[in-house]
Amino acid sequence: MPSAKSPARRVSTYKIVQAILGILFAGYLVWRLYVVFIGSPAYGPDTWARFLIAGVVLGSVYALIAIGYTLVYGILRMINFAHGDIMMIGAFGGYFVFEAFKAIPVPTLADPKMTFLDANPILSVVAAFVVGASVAALGGYFLEKIAYRPLRGAPRLVPLISAIGASIFLENAAQLLFGTQRRDYSNPAILTRGNGWNLPIGGTTVILPYTGVLTVAVSVLLMLGLYLLVMRTRLGRSMRAVAENKQVASLMGIDVDGVISRTFIISGALAGAAGVMWGIHLGIVYYYVGFLPGIKAFTAAVLGGIGSVPGAMLGGLFLGLVESLGPGILGMSYQLADVIAFGILVLVLIFRPTGIVGEVLTEEKV
Amino acid sequence: MKKQLRMALSAGVTFGIVTIFLFLIGFTGISGDLLADLFGNKNAAPFLGLTPQMINMIIFLALIGLWAGSYGSRKSKGQTDDPWAPALIGGLTAGLVHGILVGLLALLVGILNLNQVPINMYLAAVLPAAVKMFLLGGSPVQGAIFHLILFTLTGFLGGLLSRGIGRGSWRVRAVANWKNAWDRYNQKPFIKKMRGNPATRYVIYGVLVLLVFMVPLVAGQYWNYTIGTVCIYVLLGLGLNIVVGLAGLLDLGYVAFFAIGAYTMALLTAPAPQHLMWSFWIALPIGVVLAALTGLLLGAPVLRLRGDYLAIVTLGFGEIIRLLSTSDAMTSFSGGPKGVPSIAGPTIFGEPFNSGADFVYLIFLAAILIIFVTNRLQNSRVGRAWEAMREDETVSRAMGINTLTQKLLAFAIGAAFAGLGGALFASRNQFTGPEDFTFMVSVNVVAVVIVGGMGSIPGVIAGALVLKGLPEVLRELQDYRVMVFGALLVVMMLWRPAGIISSSRRKLEVEKDTGATESPKEGSEK
Repeated sequence: MPSAKSPARRVSTYKIVQAILGILFAGYLVWRLYVVFIGSPAYGPDTWARFLIAGVVLGSVYALIAIGYTLVYGILRMINFAHGDIMMIGAFGGYFVFEAFKAIPVPTLADPKMTFLDANPILSVVAAFVVGASVAALGGYFLEKIAYRPLRGAPRLVPLISAIGASIFLENAAQLLFGTQRRDYSNPAILTRGNGWNLPIGGTTVILPYTGVLTVAVSVLLMLGLYLLVMRTRLGRSMRAVAENKQVASLMGIDVDGVISRTFIISGALAGAAGVMWGIHLGIVYYYVGFLPGIKAFTAAVLGGIGSVPGAMLGGLFLGLVESLGPGILGMSYQLADVIAFGILVLVLIFRPTGIVGEVLTEEKV
Repeated sequence: MKKQLRMALSAGVTFGIVTIFLFLIGFTGISGDLLADLFGNKNAAPFLGLTPQMINMIIFLALIGLWAGSYGSRKSKGQTDDPWAPALIGGLTAGLVHGILVGLLALLVGILNLNQVPINMYLAAVLPAAVKMFLLGGSPVQGAIFHLILFTLTGFLGGLLSRGIGRGSWRVRAVANWKNAWDRYNQKPFIKKMRGNPATRYVIYGVLVLLVFMVPLVAGQYWNYTIGTVCIYVLLGLGLNIVVGLAGLLDLGYVAFFAIGAYTMALLTAPAPQHLMWSFWIALPIGVVLAALTGLLLGAPVLRLRGDYLAIVTLGFGEIIRLLSTSDAMTSFSGGPKGVPSIAGPTIFGEPFNSGADFVYLIFLAAILIIFVTNRLQNSRVGRAWEAMREDETVSRAMGINTLTQKLLAFAIGAAFAGLGGALFASRNQFTGPEDFTFMVSVNVVAVVIVGGMGSIPGVIAGALVLKGLPEVLRELQDYRVMVFGALLVVMMLWRPAGIISSSRRKLEVEKDTGATESPKEGSEK
């Protein structure tokens, strides 16, 4: 049967090309690793340690945002394009909490200029996370209600375009409300960026910043909480059921719309917390702050296999590491870190669209 | 009754939030200026201590109030009788809630402003002058009471109007009359004969084209520039229309091909950084071909993916091109962040052909060529294959269409059009740089296609005119343009997913699919 044979052969040529390209990439990577670490090391171990710390911190932020993409994709099979902007809303929420607390004077004998922010750093940080996550959750809720819910069941392009529109709207509304300037996140004094423990590595000391440790700790806590929520609670069970099959889930007495709403609230809250972390650790917030992290977190979600929560966590961490270690290993300038991240996105989607730990999707789904 | 009150309450809260938002982004102030342009009373004498801008702002707010009232007094679903009292109570409630919310805002910003708190450090548009205008020059309490009364009153009036006018039987009668007149007009033998005759269509098109060709002669430098930009967006829109509208592949990195066309033109004809200085006419086809080749190269592996994934990969590719063009690594090759200046314009028989009007003609010609090509493609075997593929890939494969080849073809042709647009764009501006190729360009083009109507050529032209032309006319609204643009995308999807001028087939498809949302059939879409 020649007609049946030809498509089969085409697939196999593609597989061969894939394999050759894969081997080439792997070979190049091994060669670069050899050059960088053994052949002619460009950086000492202290620099690599710094890259590693930055990568892990960044990765834990990406992971939180990526979970939001994955949750929504798992349930609705749509890319919530405005997710990065939900993160921006959260970042602004935390920013305003810090600014408000900074404006409250709490004079003490030792320091008459003491502010509430510096006097109660733990309370301030908790408040910032709570407020940031809440406003972002609210944003996620209304986003779903206004821009996505009426489009349920429409062709796939329609909600995606609506999401792009919502993203543009949110970014520009934030620009009009808060102005175009980049604002410095005013952390409590103890969390000043650059403060940290000194680790002696390779003859010099490497700073392990407090903000970074806080970011990773909160991120791990939230991910644990999410895992318990999805695996152990009634809501989590209905979320999984809806992701599996909406129709059957609704026959089992699950309020599908309610579950979808709550999924958006949860993913919004996680993105909001990520936004506050972004502000505390990297120190800058402005209307466009969510765009790039949003796209990269999507990359991370795809990398880990979209629809899978542990995959998103792994993917986020991996992407953070790639972004901080990649330019060093490949011998590129740091300007091109984003190019490497996007390059990985393209490569993953070409070679393994189901991601690292992704479920095996049929071609129909991909 | 209870349900009606709840609806009125939610209308009041929604409109209250919208009004507060409009104030916070400074739109209430701008609305005063806009209406002043409309009425021509910008420099009129103050009336009762109110400047013309304030009066205009009150008019604008009153309009919102009326809308809120009529929205709040709408009937709940399934309610057949339409008595006066609920409509009025609904309007009043909505107005009252609206007024209370806006009044509280006025009170708050007024007090903060009196205490010299620099609100505009955090909310950029809330300047002291804007607050003063919002309070009509009075104290915070006076301003708050004014807004409360204004919105309550207009809400009540809105309820009244919606009962009297919006739901009146006159609307049905007017529509029927209009329909009758239209039918009678169509029944006339002369009109019937003209309608059936294809020559009429060509005459109309000819006159239109002639009219369009007259425009650059009368328009000034600025308007020629704007017309050129709109036409380039028509080019890009038609190119993307093939990819998105016909073949159903969402490409969010369309700007990459635009950039390739522009950079090819720039590097081949500009004196720096490559010293080639070739002629425009040689560089133009090279740009087009290069863009098409890149489309093929990117498409070959990527087009096996579907829908959302394809969108994100193309987005990533677009960002890669932009980031590369900004980076230091490429500075010596393509000018880096500073871009490429003094790109050559076209010449005809040694004569320069690059004044504003000349360029508009060139772009017109390109647009007409592309419109012709697209039109022929759409009705060809290839075009039908694309549409079949968009509707159902599996079935089209079963019908013997090689989907991968067809997708690649669509992608490459779309890319070639973008390359042409880019080359013309760079040559017209005599400069190109990374700032011309942001993600927003891709989104703009997608919006042109979507808003205009996917798969429809007149739709794309209308989309380009609305999205790129209208903002130039409404220059006061420049700051709000992009935001409105985003909102427009969402509204279009909710309200008319097939676009302004939709192709008949696309319309059928979208309506069929969204019709299913009304029924409680969840999860039918995988």
